[in-house]
Amino acid sequence: MTPLFRLVSKPWIWSWLAAFVVWFLTIMVTLGASTLGLSQAALTFAAFSVIVGIGQMFVITLGPGNIDLSVPATMTLAGTVALKLMNVENGLILSGLLIALVIGLVVGLCNYALIKALRIPPIIATLSTSFIVQSAAIWTNRGLRIKPPSVLAEFTTSNTLGVPNVAIVALLISLLAWFLLEKTIYGRWISAIGQSMPAARMAGIPVDGTRFVTYLFCAVLASVAGYLLACFSGGAALNMGSEYLLMSIAVVVIGGTAVAGGDSNVPGIWGASLFMFLVVSMLNTYGVGAGIRLIMTGLIIISVIMLAGRRAGMR
Amino acid sequence: MTIRKMLLASAAIACAAMPVSAFADTSAKKIALSNNYAGNSWRQAMLTSWEKVTGEAVKAGVVAAADPFTTAENQATEQAAQIQNMILQGYDAIVLNAASPTALNGAVKEACDAGITVVSFDGIVTEPCAWRIAVNFKEMGRSEVEYLAKKLPQGGNLLEIRGLAGVFVDDEISAGIHEGVKQFPQFKIVGSVHGDWAQDVAQKAVAGILPSLPDIVGVVTQGGDGYGAAQAIAATDRKMPTIIMGNREDELKWWKEQKDSTGYETMSVSIAPGVSTLAFWVAQQILDGKQVKKDLVVPFLRIDQDNLETNLANTQAGGVANVEYTQADAIKVIESAK
Repeated sequence: MTPLFRLVSKPWIWSWLAAFVVWFLTIMVTLGASTLGLSQAALTFAAFSVIVGIGQMFVITLGPGNIDLSVPATMTLAGTVALKLMNVENGLILSGLLIALVIGLVVGLCNYALIKALRIPPIIATLSTSFIVQSAAIWTNRGLRIKPPSVLAEFTTSNTLGVPNVAIVALLISLLAWFLLEKTIYGRWISAIGQSMPAARMAGIPVDGTRFVTYLFCAVLASVAGYLLACFSGGAALNMGSEYLLMSIAVVVIGGTAVAGGDSNVPGIWGASLFMFLVVSMLNTYGVGAGIRLIMTGLIIISVIMLAGRRAGMR
Repeated sequence: MTIRKMLLASAAIACAAMPVSAFADTSAKKIALSNNYAGNSWRQAMLTSWEKVTGEAVKAGVVAAADPFTTAENQATEQAAQIQNMILQGYDAIVLNAASPTALNGAVKEACDAGITVVSFDGIVTEPCAWRIAVNFKEMGRSEVEYLAKKLPQGGNLLEIRGLAGVFVDDEISAGIHEGVKQFPQFKIVGSVHGDWAQDVAQKAVAGILPSLPDIVGVVTQGGDGYGAAQAIAATDRKMPTIIMGNREDELKWWKEQKDSTGYETMSVSIAPGVSTLAFWVAQQILDGKQVKKDLVVPFLRIDQDNLETNLANTQAGGVANVEYTQADAIKVIESAK
């Protein structure tokens, strides 16, 4: 096997390739003048998709039927409650983060309680949790937009050595996720459960415990993303999570993770997140109308998935 | 049936408490609000205004009840079912903010056939038997460019932030903006993105297109997106262009901060969420037997440099600049349409 062939057979290479092509086409409009600005914007906004995407990827890896639809509602509730608690006080930043994490844990707990105790399929269970959580967000917030503490607003919107801080946070989370997935027994367990739950059970894997932890992990990542997004965009809004439902699933699929579960990868999430932001920027830059833009986005996503899907036959 | 009993009881109490009333004709009437969405600050303000104004009206015995209902999923099918329930519950009028201009026509027709007055506002319906309270969105878009032409007579490049793709309101405002650009050809729209009337979506879209744009002198918007555009532009080293604002508190507050520190000038056009209360009064007038034209126009809310402070002071933190309408306002709107 040549090194090139090995690279092409990586499932995540296609999302990176697509992101690069789109990035290149966009900067060519200004003959390269927009390179730095576009790259920084892409890294910033990809960071949020990466964080929610990783959580969703762990859940999807658990196998057919596993999905978390409560991601947007969790983001909204975590963002609104944390900002309300911090109330523009720099001293309360950690408490704000803590309450966001607690919200994530509680939502994850509810999700899995419904799935396990009441035997509701994950798609229905997480959707119902999401209604409750979203209503809780509306109830606590009533459209109120509180500004984030100045230190936190500064941190989320500025760069370190030219790299946006939120992208660095997302990178650290990705490293942790990669480590969990590739280097720990937990990562092996979720892959095994995704490939065959009965086989995993017979092999003595603590299936329920593993699934429980995975749903918790996903909800906690969603709440962290909500916390960061609310600080980044100068306040939490009731509809701030809405576009991250499809986004979190799309980046997982485009990134080359098997939709049927059991096989996932972290680098693909980054390629896909950058791609999802850049493709909209590219079509906007070329002045394509909204209708055509949506059709093109759909077609481009289908082609990337088809290319990435071919690898299964090559093995 | 308990709700119905409670409503009857409250109607009875209202009648008893108000034996002699100028609005005797509608004091036994029940009005329902059918609303398709509650998940943003504009809709929250709309519902709050409704509760406040109709609450007082019910207490004063003008009508027997004015109950708001909101669907969970912003789906036309769900709202059609909601309207059918309202018919069964025996409301005399339905005030409607519709999920779709056409998909609810069947349910609206059923309501009309049952003798119910249907008044649609903001999200209007095309069914001829219903009343429509609409904003002249085209004029709203055109007035933005007109303002810029006055402020920047030499013209320049503009960035357009549109609303939610495929929604009637977005097409109308955008058409108005493009009409304005035709009228003042010194302006050129060099980029157009969809901000979905949401601050964070606009921020993301603007940040994505900004690196590829030449210098821009103005940003024309549809409301709710001005602060996001400002955030995205502030993150670059560009000079802040004139961003037309909407009526969200964060947009007005940002404008005020800039005005105080650098003398920044702009204006704001928007639709006041209190238009729900205008629709309520119009419904009440129709029930009262007034002859009302089917198509009414509500003026949009404009804030300028000199009345910014007053408007900001009246806007609650995180809320939306708002106007609540009175019965007299409704009568004026009805008269002017004749």
